[in-house]
Amino acid sequence: MNVLIIEDERSLAREVDIFLTNNNYVCEVAYNGRTASEKISVNLYDFILIDLGLPDYEGLDLLKEAKASNPEAACIILTARAEVNDRITGLDLGADDYVPKPFSLLELQSRMQAITRRKFGLKHNTVALGDFQINLTERIISYEGNVVTTITKKEFDLIAYMLLHKNRTLTRTQLSEHIWGSVVNDDYDSNYIDAHIKNIRKKLNAFAPPNWLETVRGLGYKIVANN
Amino acid sequence: MKLNTKLTLFNTISKLVIVVLFVLLLPLLITKINLGYTDSKLIEQKEKVLQIVKTLGIGNYITDGESYGSYTLLKEEYISLDEVAADEYLDTILNERRIVEGDTIEYRILSHTFKVNKKNYLLEVGKSVSTLDDTSGPLQNIAFQVLVSMILLTILADQVYSNYVLRPLRQIIRTKLNSSRFPYTDSYRKVRTSTADFQYLDISIHRMMETITDKFQKEREFISNASHELMTPISILQTKIENMFVEEDIADDLKVRLLEMQRILNRLKSITKTLLLISQIENEQFLKEDEVNLNEMLHDVQDEISIRLEQKEITCNINVPADVALQKVNKFLLFNLLFNLINNAIKYNHEGGSINITAQKNTANLILNIADTGIGIAADELPYIFNRFKKLKRSLQQDSFGLGLPIVKSIADFHRIQIEVSSEKDKGSVFSLIIPAAILKG
Repeated sequence: MNVLIIEDERSLAREVDIFLTNNNYVCEVAYNGRTASEKISVNLYDFILIDLGLPDYEGLDLLKEAKASNPEAACIILTARAEVNDRITGLDLGADDYVPKPFSLLELQSRMQAITRRKFGLKHNTVALGDFQINLTERIISYEGNVVTTITKKEFDLIAYMLLHKNRTLTRTQLSEHIWGSVVNDDYDSNYIDAHIKNIRKKLNAFAPPNWLETVRGLGYKIVANN
Repeated sequence: MKLNTKLTLFNTISKLVIVVLFVLLLPLLITKINLGYTDSKLIEQKEKVLQIVKTLGIGNYITDGESYGSYTLLKEEYISLDEVAADEYLDTILNERRIVEGDTIEYRILSHTFKVNKKNYLLEVGKSVSTLDDTSGPLQNIAFQVLVSMILLTILADQVYSNYVLRPLRQIIRTKLNSSRFPYTDSYRKVRTSTADFQYLDISIHRMMETITDKFQKEREFISNASHELMTPISILQTKIENMFVEEDIADDLKVRLLEMQRILNRLKSITKTLLLISQIENEQFLKEDEVNLNEMLHDVQDEISIRLEQKEITCNINVPADVALQKVNKFLLFNLLFNLINNAIKYNHEGGSINITAQKNTANLILNIADTGIGIAADELPYIFNRFKKLKRSLQQDSFGLGLPIVKSIADFHRIQIEVSSEKDKGSVFSLIIPAAILKG
């Protein structure tokens, strides 16, 4: 999939580029609004990531242009201006999502995947992990046709997030940012992830040992899957 | 005590003291005046007698060397004329006792010697003193009555005038100090007064309010700008660490250090995000258009936080009627408020403790109490719990950067919800949210 990254912070643009390229996206980068505008009018993209705070261009104008010449593209607004009005205006103008800075690259990818599922219709909504089946649209996990009802919403979120970034070690910080990111909180160290993982293992063990859910000593957790 | 009362009291007391002093001194004054009057009267009579002697001769009074004396009927006054030795000389006015027909009477006596036809004569003119004293008693009485009634009249006048003259001061206190709410956004309305001091006070208070609001505004702007500016560098660092973390040629021990960096960066991110949130709330950048069922929201928070409850084996009882709903609120903010309060109730609780959430409906408000069985807050720390970055003793043992309760406070203020805290060390704390009727639905 083709991605246009519009971001005037070169360093940040480069990291997003590296990350998405590693995850099999084809990326182009525009460091200013003028270049971005040219690229939008010439090329077709699947994703356009727009930084609202460009020095030479009003980010929301760029969004309008993108919607006009790339109607199929999914636009994601990246901004440090976390003002509510921006959010409303951005979504009103047809942005598909809004990722406030500072964001995690994993979170960005997860949002992009969600849009892909919604917009382009993902064929394989059910993923097999060992003997378990994970249905990402219905958000259920089942074993040989039996739904594991004991899994809570948060626990499913964790499994889905690790599955999305399968074969990659996710740190506790990354996991807790994903599931508690929306809550503004006084704690800066979350060891609750361990408790969640323990619960998930216990619940799944009632059916079969979830060997695919691995602990990476000292670093975090990962889901190992071949498909 | 009010200024008006004080002034009146002082006026009354000072006037009374002066009047009492005057009335007490009155006899002395009267005696002195009388004495002067009597003396001049005596001198006048003396002059009269001398005049008669000069024109009609001494023979008009004295013939054959016999002395002359004359009393009024009740012996209040007398005149006597006598021949005395040639070398005697007198010219005095003195008080003296005289025995007249068996009665001892005190007289004011003028004694004067004069020579006529080479003979020396002594003239005495006397006036009894008791006739003088008699007048002072009734005079004192009347003076006292007149003066006291005059005092009453002036007090009344004082009261009316000071009431009138102090009206601008009362207005300044009422409108500028009592009823204004920080931050002061009301435009300046001059208090009408011709008293220069009050004009000065009025304008000074206004200027001070302006300065405070201005400084407060600048601080808000600074926090908002600073946290915004920090977002991009944090973002760059975060993405760099995330990308490095999956590089294949990075050894595990380096990954552990990257993980440390990630955690610390996350802490920086949390603090910045929280500060930004607080400044956004204070700048009223959130809408208040949501309707929220309180009971449902509390259960949502409980679900969100259930892992923490489980870990410490804390039971959370929510006893809030299912029909309590709030309107004109911000759902996201309210959720965060409750989350932080309940999170604190867990954090500062004992293992196996409990949290009791109850609602109490009154006519003018609804009080939501969140009570825990935790370690409590020391009395000397209670006033500071809502201060930003205030590290209380109890939070030092916890991973906390001291912004949980400031968020709670900002959100509550934004919704005009009052917070009251009562706590007993080692017994637990109760956080009471007083939710005004304005945002209660139904």
